[in-house]
Amino acid sequence: MKNEGEAAKRPDNTAFTQQRLPAWQPILSAGIVIPSFLLIGLAFIGIGIGLFLTSQTIQVWEMDYTGFEKDSPCFRCTILSNQNCTCEVTFSLSTLFSVKSSYFPSDCSPYAYDSEKNPIVPCGAIANSIFNDTFELYQIINGTKKQVPLDGKGISWWTDYNIKYRNPSSVNSSFAKSFDGTVKPINWPKPAYELDLTDPNNNGFLNQDFLVWMRRAALPQFRKLYRRITDGDYAAGLPAGNYSLKVHYNYPVLSFDGRKKVVFSNVSWMGGKNDFLGIAYLVVGSLCVVMSVVMLVVYAKFKFSDDDDDA
Amino acid sequence: LKILLTPNVRGNGYFPLSVGQAHALEADMEREFLETACACRAVICCRVTPLQKALVVELVKQHKKAVTLAIGDGANDVSMIKTAHIGVGISGQEGIQAVLASDYSFSQFRFLQRLLLVHGRWSYLRMCRFLCYFFYKNFAFTMVHFWFGFFCGFSAQTVYDQYFITLYNIVYTSLPVLAMGIFDQDVPEQRSLEYPKLYEPGQLNLLFNKREFFICIAQGIYTSVVLFFIPYGVLSYATQSNGVPLADYQTFAVTTATALVIVVSVQIALDTGYWTAINHFFIWGSLGTYFTILFAMHSSILFNIFPKQFHFLGSAYNTLGQPVVWLTIALATVICIAPVLAFRFLKLDLKPQLSDTVRYTQLVLQKKRKPGGRAGRGVGGAGVASGSTLGRLGRGGSRRSGYAFAHQEGFGELITSGKNMRLSSLALATFASRHSGSWIDTLRRKKHANSTDKTR
Repeated sequence: MKNEGEAAKRPDNTAFTQQRLPAWQPILSAGIVIPSFLLIGLAFIGIGIGLFLTSQTIQVWEMDYTGFEKDSPCFRCTILSNQNCTCEVTFSLSTLFSVKSSYFPSDCSPYAYDSEKNPIVPCGAIANSIFNDTFELYQIINGTKKQVPLDGKGISWWTDYNIKYRNPSSVNSSFAKSFDGTVKPINWPKPAYELDLTDPNNNGFLNQDFLVWMRRAALPQFRKLYRRITDGDYAAGLPAGNYSLKVHYNYPVLSFDGRKKVVFSNVSWMGGKNDFLGIAYLVVGSLCVVMSVVMLVVYAKFKFSDDDDDA
Repeated sequence: LKILLTPNVRGNGYFPLSVGQAHALEADMEREFLETACACRAVICCRVTPLQKALVVELVKQHKKAVTLAIGDGANDVSMIKTAHIGVGISGQEGIQAVLASDYSFSQFRFLQRLLLVHGRWSYLRMCRFLCYFFYKNFAFTMVHFWFGFFCGFSAQTVYDQYFITLYNIVYTSLPVLAMGIFDQDVPEQRSLEYPKLYEPGQLNLLFNKREFFICIAQGIYTSVVLFFIPYGVLSYATQSNGVPLADYQTFAVTTATALVIVVSVQIALDTGYWTAINHFFIWGSLGTYFTILFAMHSSILFNIFPKQFHFLGSAYNTLGQPVVWLTIALATVICIAPVLAFRFLKLDLKPQLSDTVRYTQLVLQKKRKPGGRAGRGVGGAGVASGSTLGRLGRGGSRRSGYAFAHQEGFGELITSGKNMRLSSLALATFASRHSGSWIDTLRRKKHANSTDKTR
């Protein structure tokens, strides 16, 4: 009953069209699931212990210094602990919602022009609110203050410094002249070309502190790197003793109930102190091990009861 | 002579043969007719007009919560085909009128069995898995913004890069689920035909109903909680190994986005039950595409061309080069996937569905048969499947046939003599009336048959 016309109308008889493609069909068998849970559990416990121990070796000291009078130039603080570590100084700010959408670089309003319609450089709300407290650290030895050198190089991202941000080229070999026709942001004490007059590589838009601040934070509580302690007598870290931290208190946070803290910390391969990661790994690892035991018990019970039924 | 089969067949009773049922379709009689008909295993209505055929289908549709299918080959079946939920037309000797009005069409009546048991069932399974996964991945993706809202002053700030949002549904996660929706099979076709009871989940709407939908959504929300709060907990006070803090927006965005893509890819890998080469290519390819596009968009080349669009410069390199970030992603993945894995394994152990058992048996059989040479996987592999009926099916000439009984002699003589209709249309396959009793008995019989049989 098959003639040429009918045979021609038939659909293709290939593996693809007839859904006969060779395939791997996995099943969740006990032999795969239970050992893998056990393995993952043990691996996570191991990693968790490593992370937790590493985190414990990191020393952190932080102090909340908000609430001092705005015009008190210095204060004394003493550190009385055995510190011997390589450190960076970070400041910490809380409850500043810095992630508002008006902070997008392409839209500078309402910080784009001043009252006389001069363009503000650098524009935008993030730039306007740059953190401007500065610190000086002194070690107190036998009653005299010895300044600890703070290194501000390379605290921003390499890509930010080298590619993303560029300074305008000098006009008549004067950097300041290239900013003619613009004004500084409203809340800045000095214009951008005076951010660091001692180092032309740290001036204008390439100022490291400026770049660090411009890297927008994700959450309302965040930290930013201020300085590193790497030079001179303190290359191996801060020895135990008394220190004095002089704060030039400029940044107003009380208007939005913010707090300012200064944090000293040393770092390891995993960064600063991070107990959360170690503890999370330990918890998840133990849960996996527990689950694998539970599944083994259930599987064994079910398997043996099934065999009993068959027999 | 046309046979109308309703899905609700009960009992093993009698078969009314109603001739000229115009009376039965009158308003006062129709409920009685329906109840009687549904109490029977099969109903034969003969000498009916096209309108009456459509009315019978309409009757079942209105009063019974069932999906109706009508199959026919002639122009007089068109109204019935159009009335039913699913209309099937047979293209053949009576022309193509029925085909033009139908949803599905083929050339022989016996293909109806394959349409329902193999293709219909697979289609239902694929659709349900596809829908579940689609809701899950979109909830996991979107609800992260909800949690972030509590921390960003509800300023509608997105957690991810704008381009990631655009490309997530189009490029990074579309192809694997598409491949699953096209190729997935839980049970091979021979088994689908052997165990018609596998068709039941479709009839009972078991694979995607309100409960399954809410489970999908709940899983998506749980995933979004993990994907937001784990990076939040780790990165808030974390720093890179050189002291630069990791708590900035772009690092957070890259970490969360990478974790999301990896988690949903692992989930589709768990959902896919039938891995063809195309599935492999799509799943691994999508992951690879994600990382490629990520690094491309965060590179200096694109930044130099479009600085305003691609201001995430350097993020991928800075972020994904930190071990802390990868540890975070691994942690988030395990927290999202391990409960799913455990739950599925336990469900498989404690409450296996028929499809799970059949699939398991099939794969175990395949493993046993493999040393003896390639066997039993092709369509209608002639007679190599030990102890199953598929060999006989492949050779043509099925031993199954449909019967129509009557208490009295009835019109049997008239029908079989071929005086009033063509003999060829008598080739009717049944829906596995051979397999009586529960599926467990069938399975046990097969198991014993296999252990004592030799391959033929």
